[in-house]
Amino acid sequence: MDRKISLHPYLDRCLDALAAICTGLSALSMIVLVSTFGWLVYGRYVLNDTPTWVEQLALLMMITISFMSSATGVRERTHLAVDIVPMLCGAKSQIVLRMLCDFILMIFGVLMAVKSNELMQFSWYKEIPLLAIPEGIRYIPVLISGVLVALFSAASLLGGAISLFSDSDSDPVLNPDVSGLKNKAEE
Amino acid sequence: MGWFILLGCFALLLIIGMPVAYALGIAALSSFVYEGLPLLIGFQRIVSGVSVFSLLAIPFFIFAGELMLHGGIASRLVSLASSAVGWAKGGLGQVNVLSSMLFGGISGSAVADVSALGSLLIPVMKEKGYIAEYAVNVTVTSSVAGIMIPPSHNMILFVVAAGGGISVSSLFMAGLIPGILMCLCLGAAARWVAIRNNYPTEKFPGWSVVLYAAITAFPGLFTAVIIVGGALSGVFTVTESGAIGCIYAIVVCVFVYRSLTLASFIVAVKNAVRTTGMVMILVGCASAFGYMLVLYDVPSELTKLLYMISDNPIIILLMMNLMLLVLGMIMDMGALILICTPIFLPVAVGLGMDPIQFGVMLMMNLGLGLCTPPVGSCLFVGCAIGNVPIQRAVRTIWPFYLAILLTLMLITFVPSMSLFLPNLLDV
Repeated sequence: MDRKISLHPYLDRCLDALAAICTGLSALSMIVLVSTFGWLVYGRYVLNDTPTWVEQLALLMMITISFMSSATGVRERTHLAVDIVPMLCGAKSQIVLRMLCDFILMIFGVLMAVKSNELMQFSWYKEIPLLAIPEGIRYIPVLISGVLVALFSAASLLGGAISLFSDSDSDPVLNPDVSGLKNKAEE
Repeated sequence: MGWFILLGCFALLLIIGMPVAYALGIAALSSFVYEGLPLLIGFQRIVSGVSVFSLLAIPFFIFAGELMLHGGIASRLVSLASSAVGWAKGGLGQVNVLSSMLFGGISGSAVADVSALGSLLIPVMKEKGYIAEYAVNVTVTSSVAGIMIPPSHNMILFVVAAGGGISVSSLFMAGLIPGILMCLCLGAAARWVAIRNNYPTEKFPGWSVVLYAAITAFPGLFTAVIIVGGALSGVFTVTESGAIGCIYAIVVCVFVYRSLTLASFIVAVKNAVRTTGMVMILVGCASAFGYMLVLYDVPSELTKLLYMISDNPIIILLMMNLMLLVLGMIMDMGALILICTPIFLPVAVGLGMDPIQFGVMLMMNLGLGLCTPPVGSCLFVGCAIGNVPIQRAVRTIWPFYLAILLTLMLITFVPSMSLFLPNLLDV
């Protein structure tokens, strides 16, 4: 739940832009999701012609929102974690624990990207019923999410390493707080 | 050995501060590797865990809650509550509880409830001479109403985690009486504390003001009627009613209240997708984790363990409540619903408890966990808004905890509390 570590202003901006694009895509998917369900109800009760493709499209949008936003959550550190032990640790230990998490998460992200790529290729020649598009498309958001999780974790890992070997007393990671929740409250 | 790797890896990852969702996923994948199962299946389980039609209601409920938060519905509900109960002793405490009941009932999210009502009411309460801790305590504990009073996206998580066979409409109706009772108990606790501390009383504004506030709040309140009524009547499915609720909330906030600007709409969508992402990745990873739990037969092992300690149903139910309370203190609600349901539901059903009653008991138990340190998101948000250190807030929160615990015991041991309405309405 602690704040992200600053790496390099230019790199930070690039990674933040990537996270913002993901949020934008998820937001767009949410609007499409609500609109298609509105259309479903309108079609059923007004046009007397229920659009059958809505369900499959909605599931595709759901996967997009879930995986894209969860990758953004890794960058923005909004995922819920149990911070009791890290908060009890000293400054350097906190950074080490965080680097360990980042490292494991990076491997998870790489595996997610590799395996979802396999799943995508495996199911590319099957079609999603009623949408007539390749089933493999379902795994594209997962693949992107895997790449982004690995990228964001690697950046955080690198930032942690830099702050570990520099003047750590001034680093924001030493002041873990509930910034994510505070931001939510302020919004 | 396999179950030890699964649970041990999960515990270790949690301890080092790994996000709960990813800790579940990584622990499950470690077990896949240990058992020689292909990782491909593990990731496929994560994706298929998210790709469930009944889960589509979750983003809709979350989005509807955010729209209300940013579209001016919350402030109208506070005005209604203020005019209706503000004149009682420690009036703003009562206003806070009633507002939570109304807003939480519509938004279905405890954290949204604390964010919305806390930022409106806590500063006003402090200004009027209420101690900041009291303001925070009432806001935080009454937010549990958001989970209990329908619609609630956590109830959908429970239905999915229970593996189907439970009607969402039944669970929605089952939460209503316990939710209202909990608010009454919290109102009583708030009054008791207010009398002890001699908090001020507001003047009764007159029936015309109450009527005006009710008329103004009605379009916002109608969102809940659309969502719950649509699903109960069978006009819409639960998912469709969530979507229609969102569209209705947009229409009301833009055309009736005229308080939803493009900027606030964008903030609402962004917050909604952010929360949806957090919840859904949790669902996906918990699906892979649950797959391994069932493979290792953990639920039946736990049942055997509980029966070894005692075969008295009352003792077992109390032990389950205690375990859920402790888990709720250290972990997030969504994750616990997904992990605990497959483990504890068979035990509860084995004791003769209705799955719906168990669902309501689980919701209240874990809802209390949101208000307790060390990991309580509602408590964190409330303390951040009230600018009160957590340790100071929890020193005076016990009357409110007692009120929730009293309701929890009634839910646990009086089945009709939760089953009366579903049986009456035959849903």
